[in-house]
Amino acid sequence: MPSRRRTLLKVIILGDSGVGKTSLMNQYVNKKFSNQYKATIGADFLTKEVEFEDRLFTLQIWDTAGQERFQSLGVAFYRGADCCVLVYDVNVQKSFDDLNNWREEFLIQASPSDPENFPFVVLGNKVDVDGGNSRVVSEKKARAWCASKGNIPYFETSAKEGINVEEAFQVIAKNALKSGEEEEIYLPDTIDVGSTSQQRASGCDC
Amino acid sequence: MLESPSSSGYDGEIGSDSSDDDDGIKEVVRDKSDNGDGEEANAELIRGKRRSDEDDASISWRKRKKHFFILSNSGKPIYSRYGDEHKLAGFSATLQAIISFVENGGDRVKLVRAGKHLVVFLVKGPIYLVCISCTEEPYESLRGQLELLYGQMILILTRSIDRCFEKNSKFDMTPLLGGTDSVFSSIIHSFSWNPATFLHAYTCLPLAYPTRQAAGAILQDVADSGVLFAILMCKDKVVSLVGLQKSALHPDDMLLLANFIMSSDSFRTSESFSPICLPRYNTMAFLYAYVQYLDADTYLTLLTTSSQAFFHLKECRIRIETVLSKSNVLNEVQRSLSEGGLRISDLPVDPSARSGSLFHLNQRKPATDSQDRPVDIGGPAGLWHFMYRSIYLDQYVSSEFASPISGPPQQKRLYRAYQRLYASMHDKGVGPHKTQFRRDENYVLLCWVTPDFELYAAFDPLADKAVAIRICNRVCQWIKDVENEIFLVGASPFSW
Repeated sequence: MPSRRRTLLKVIILGDSGVGKTSLMNQYVNKKFSNQYKATIGADFLTKEVEFEDRLFTLQIWDTAGQERFQSLGVAFYRGADCCVLVYDVNVQKSFDDLNNWREEFLIQASPSDPENFPFVVLGNKVDVDGGNSRVVSEKKARAWCASKGNIPYFETSAKEGINVEEAFQVIAKNALKSGEEEEIYLPDTIDVGSTSQQRASGCDC
Repeated sequence: MLESPSSSGYDGEIGSDSSDDDDGIKEVVRDKSDNGDGEEANAELIRGKRRSDEDDASISWRKRKKHFFILSNSGKPIYSRYGDEHKLAGFSATLQAIISFVENGGDRVKLVRAGKHLVVFLVKGPIYLVCISCTEEPYESLRGQLELLYGQMILILTRSIDRCFEKNSKFDMTPLLGGTDSVFSSIIHSFSWNPATFLHAYTCLPLAYPTRQAAGAILQDVADSGVLFAILMCKDKVVSLVGLQKSALHPDDMLLLANFIMSSDSFRTSESFSPICLPRYNTMAFLYAYVQYLDADTYLTLLTTSSQAFFHLKECRIRIETVLSKSNVLNEVQRSLSEGGLRISDLPVDPSARSGSLFHLNQRKPATDSQDRPVDIGGPAGLWHFMYRSIYLDQYVSSEFASPISGPPQQKRLYRAYQRLYASMHDKGVGPHKTQFRRDENYVLLCWVTPDFELYAAFDPLADKAVAIRICNRVCQWIKDVENEIFLVGASPFSW
């Protein structure tokens, strides 16, 4: 193990198909953008190391497929997430309306210990499209929704132009970290030979 | 197995020693052996965390013949045999996705075959274990290895970690395993040389009966003072062991415990008191192990349930050490270690020539074979090697390696052949079988399983079947004649 303790943070990216989840991730991790749309099958996984407040983190980013047919994967994928990123397309009203479903679905499936304070981040993507002329969801509306859900941090991004992507992930890392702060108490028992039940107890089922 | 010269720490990043990369059959002598691992040779002898620079994008990483991974059910990496766990976070997530996807459908993924590679999965509650191998080992063997790897982790942490995951699925257990890299690399290495890993039996250091008795007596003495188990071992071989209760120490637990002690160099440098869990004894709770090396290879382990027992155990150890040196046991142990155990060339072929003692034989070992029988390579009638497992005693004995099974590559090939033989004999689908005779270009392999013992023998590929069978009978007879010296027998509280 390394001398400096590193922390791994699991980050889930959710949102309707085509809002740019994979592009955001690629822009963040690989600094690349492609105009071609390739649907994600199931999920993609990327990692990125970040340094933050003199500590090292590895972001394990789970880029999930937006299509409904993949949503049965939910429980498996959401388990143990440290942060959830909700993405919508500022040019598509439905993708914004669906944020609520995504958030609720996540909370149900991942069942985090403290759902009230689970760290989400909302990204309004594709602000570059058509110089902002085709935009249908206003920043004000988006911020209002975020405020109503416990002050979720909000960013307007463009995966294509790389606008706000770095900044958004900084906050994602920071918030993921906050949620992981409470340390688990790991306290195994000691065998009590006096009590009869313990002898060669369950054993591992190997 | 190579002894590493330098010390490495239980406390440090230092990984395993040269033994680390066994699948390439690389020892001190660089051979161009049959299954090279596709890696630069010189890194081998450097003690350090195994290739922490690699990740799943590295060609060298992809070429490794046998990978082991431990991850949590949220896809967070816990251990990887090669490469940096964090850099492999994406790969780890992929493994979790595969397992969870199948689980979601109410099913379980056992293995995936992909060309030459076999991917074997083992789910233990919130812990997932995966082996990816192109070593042609059977599924059953690889699965057994994953079970042991899991057991090794439980030995260090107990199954209480399950509760941590229940409370918080984000739980990251890697900090709890800090400094244990060498323990894992070492158990993984043993999967390619230590028959105990698939026979589920332990082996004893050959000793004259009175010597082992003397060791047993003093261990029994301290066991009566509240020590749960007292174990005296020399490397991976048992000198003697006793237990307080009418409960048995499982051979797998002994394997994992010995591996833990031998691979953590801090045990070598001072007396230690460490919490450990014996997974076959009780997965949920800790015992405490007092460990002290009595010489370079021999170590005493006293297990107790009391976390306060250090000073008592220290006194016990001093008593034991005094008696052992007075009664010359430690010298005998060293002598046996250097002389080795059963040699196939010593197998009494003529029933009338049976000596009844190994030590008698060793002492008058003639340099040349003056008999009029033809000089074979290896033992009589083309016998090259054998392993004998006593079912009743939970112990096995194997002959010393001799020509032509002399080099590490040959030994490993034979080891793998035995492993396959074992798996095929214990195949639940078509077995269990009683005997098997198999001839290929490398060996004749003969296996004989009875309710009392299992015998695995390797012969020259041209060996005659009838003669081979006769020789196997001789081996069994020989084992019986010297069983007092090669096994821990008698009033052992372990056999219930």
